[in-house]
Amino acid sequence: MKRAGWYLVAGTVAGFAGVVVLHGRGAPAAQPAAAGTGGGAGPARAGSSAGLSPASQPAQPTRSSPAAAGGPAHGATGATEQFGYGKLAVKVTVTGSRVVNVTVPVLQTLDPTSQQISEQAIPMLRSQVLAADGAHINGVSGATFTSQAYVNSVQAALDKLHLK
Amino acid sequence: MNAPTVRSGSALPVGGGRRHATPGRPRVPLPRPALARTALLVAGVGLGVTTALTFTAETAGEFTAPGGPVTFAGNLTGMIGTYLALMMVLLVSRIPAIERVLGQDGLLRWHRRLAPWPISLLVAHAVFITVGYAQAARSGLWHEADILLTRFPDVLIATIGLGIMCLIGVISIRVIRRRLSRETWWLVHLYMYLALALSFMHVIVLGPSFVGHPLTRLVWSLAWAGTAGLVLVYRFGLPVVRSMRHRLVVVEVRPEGPGVVSVICSGRDLDKLPVAGGQFMMWRFLSRGRWWQAHPFSLSALPRPPYVRLTVKAVGDFSASLSGLRPGTPVMVEGPYGAFTRHTQVWPRAVLVAAGIGVTALRSLLEDLPRKSAPIVVLRASRREDLVLGGEVADLVRYRRGQLHVLVGHRDQASIDERSLRRLVPDLDRRDVFVCGPESFVASIVDLVKSLGVVDEAIHHEAFAL
Repeated sequence: MKRAGWYLVAGTVAGFAGVVVLHGRGAPAAQPAAAGTGGGAGPARAGSSAGLSPASQPAQPTRSSPAAAGGPAHGATGATEQFGYGKLAVKVTVTGSRVVNVTVPVLQTLDPTSQQISEQAIPMLRSQVLAADGAHINGVSGATFTSQAYVNSVQAALDKLHLK
Repeated sequence: MNAPTVRSGSALPVGGGRRHATPGRPRVPLPRPALARTALLVAGVGLGVTTALTFTAETAGEFTAPGGPVTFAGNLTGMIGTYLALMMVLLVSRIPAIERVLGQDGLLRWHRRLAPWPISLLVAHAVFITVGYAQAARSGLWHEADILLTRFPDVLIATIGLGIMCLIGVISIRVIRRRLSRETWWLVHLYMYLALALSFMHVIVLGPSFVGHPLTRLVWSLAWAGTAGLVLVYRFGLPVVRSMRHRLVVVEVRPEGPGVVSVICSGRDLDKLPVAGGQFMMWRFLSRGRWWQAHPFSLSALPRPPYVRLTVKAVGDFSASLSGLRPGTPVMVEGPYGAFTRHTQVWPRAVLVAAGIGVTALRSLLEDLPRKSAPIVVLRASRREDLVLGGEVADLVRYRRGQLHVLVGHRDQASIDERSLRRLVPDLDRRDVFVCGPESFVASIVDLVKSLGVVDEAIHHEAFAL
């Protein structure tokens, strides 16, 4: 059959363009808040909804919205930590000198399995930090890289808040 | 319609070449090139969508992270490779609408030509992903390969699938394939379905284009399920239904020449078998040692209900064993297949060229040509006794007011070259050329007539692979 190649190429170009156009149009919706990263049902939920934000938006230290109820709450986001399978940044909220909430506004992993591992580890790391009231925690075994990055970012956030 | 002489020696009325069509023969579904073009377009769209999905699943951050570019290359090769593997399956799924345009011959040629691509791309995918992940984790390659195989879901089983795929790729390399029997090769080749099934899950579970994208997952799964369905319907269901309907049994095995036999089968409702002259079927003779393999043989005459005839030359173990076929053996069939029919003709007149046992397809095609269509028929054989069905062809040609040229002798003495072809067929560029015979013969004639100005659309060929 003559011109077979042209039909194939035309189809390929059309298919590619179609997906790219549709993706571009649906872009805001196409960023699912799939990574329910440890924020829990607390008032600081807003902080975690950034989920899979692209790294092109650097994680700025944010003195964000009123978080925990009662008392002046301060928040700071630690440096974005690379941990081999991806990167994360942790936001710490304190009232006085007490850590009242920890969220993960930036979590990006290279592959879905790492995403899964991180998502399992992050809630545990959060409760460890809240219990220890600081960055001196044991971490989660099986998620060593994630734990290290988490601890480093928590420490960086606390440093920004001039605590501990 | 008056019937000229029947010169066949048997009492069975199959051998004669009388009419160009038995009244009441079912209409053969005509090839519709537009359908094949649409299929090509759809295949292209699929390729574009698959490629684009890899790009849209990638963020700038992922790409710039350590190992990002290599991992992306891994995703891209994986997606395109898997999509091409799907196309390979579709090419051999015998979808009738496409088969009628390209012919089994053409589909297999595409399949053979494209097949190295999916395998190489998928091997590249495995390498890229391992390297990319190792870079990201700042660990060694072997360590990373171990992690991928043992920790990641479904990766181990997909790797086994890739191993099977590579094995099949290796045994399909011409040099190696020639050393294997057709049956062994075919049986091993069937494991490709297993290999593809094994690799399916890891794509859906781990592929960045699919994780968190339920719609993409659904469409991808449907595409694979649909392909599996087509394979089941056209490679399995339809042949079983046809075989049950016609219930063919062997009634006679008749020697035609040195190592050549005709097998005559009888069956029910053969007037409803939609077959065109020049087509072939896959034959499975249900007797000990033969039932598990189906072989392609041309019909050497249009069905003359309740009889149908195939003529076979002993070239391999199987075809040699057919002379020992017992009357009463049940037969299962697939097909008819092939675009080597008058329905693909672009000119009103034709020249038919056959070498050796290629005469079988030519014989039934000739029977399908209208009266007074003045076909020019060229038969080539190494020895006079190899010229089987010669009498029948002569009768059919005479009835159609055509000319028959017979070239007998060694390749060097009785070859078909530019000079002889111009002399035998002065109006070559205003005729369709049908060539049938061994692969090398077909290739040389196709090259020759192309060089003499015959357009691609007017060249039709069916090559017999040994």
